[in-house]
Amino acid sequence: MTALDAATREALAELLLTLADDEFVLGFWDSEWTGIAPMLEEDVATSSIAQDEIGHAKAWYELLAELTDDDADRIAYGREPEAYRHAALMNHPRTDWAFTVARRFLYETADAVRLEALSRSSHLGIAGLAAKMRREETYHLLHWSAWMRRLAEGPQTRARIVAALERLRPDAEAIFSPLAGEAALVAAGVLPDGLAALRAAWHERMATELRALGLPVPVDSAPTPTEGRTQRTDDFRWLWGEFTSVARAEPGASW
Amino acid sequence: MADRVWEVFRQEAEGDPFIHGGSVNAPDEELAMHYAREFYGRRQESVRLWVVPREAIVELDDPDLLQPPFDRSFKRPGGYLIKHKLEAARERAGSPGGGEPEGEA
Repeated sequence: MTALDAATREALAELLLTLADDEFVLGFWDSEWTGIAPMLEEDVATSSIAQDEIGHAKAWYELLAELTDDDADRIAYGREPEAYRHAALMNHPRTDWAFTVARRFLYETADAVRLEALSRSSHLGIAGLAAKMRREETYHLLHWSAWMRRLAEGPQTRARIVAALERLRPDAEAIFSPLAGEAALVAAGVLPDGLAALRAAWHERMATELRALGLPVPVDSAPTPTEGRTQRTDDFRWLWGEFTSVARAEPGASW
Repeated sequence: MADRVWEVFRQEAEGDPFIHGGSVNAPDEELAMHYAREFYGRRQESVRLWVVPREAIVELDDPDLLQPPFDRSFKRPGGYLIKHKLEAARERAGSPGGGEPEGEA
């Protein structure tokens, strides 16, 4: 690709920050299950998947740091809570197992659509990372779909899954909230499809999977929330306090 | 959740024999595969896993069959000395280290 103008670079930085923060914050929420997941094997699997997400976040932060001449750790741990740009879906606490499974299902299906598009990016760094991440996310999607199926089968767990999906789905829409410089990214082929198109593809995919599970399919007519990536909650501020506590204890320390 | 026990065998490289890695608890085949992957493959230490429900394994541990009381050393390969016979067979075949000794092994 040819060199990007300043406005496109700024938009690219914004895109990378959203990708990184989504994975980073979700990874930290799910790491909260370490030691208390429903069974030992699942404890290891959930923790390992959470680590994978933090690994993906690291890759996105490093690409961003290269672009903005910054430091990946500084971006990850050195911002105030209000400066994070994850989707509102990741503002919610861990809650119960059904809630976590529902969030993972919403996120994985959306992320699959997003990564497929990014693997076709004209930006080779993004395309390469997206292609690699898709290989790991395939397993994540299989795993969380297996849990969706298990929980959808039991009458009690089914009610919990339905309630969690209902609660979380509007905030999952924020994954595809429009970005300020989106038009420039689409024009440059960095983002091969606009976020509205990706959102539509995600709805289709989600509907197919929910129908197959016999779960209610949301009817969505609401516009994508424009503030979907800027609203922060007390739950997130608490998590931020946790995941930055070590970095804040000794600023500038080299580990 | 009614868990079953699954035995996991792992292969470190293409063509290697499978070795027993350990076992996992899982309610069904799908999660058994996921857990096997997490416990015995997530660090890229395996190229293939076999995940087997424990009850599918036929166990034989009868000492009368496996540890019979009489001397069985003649049933081990070391019970015969065939080094010289092999050398002679190779000579007959005309190439050192080549040729198949017939009826000698």
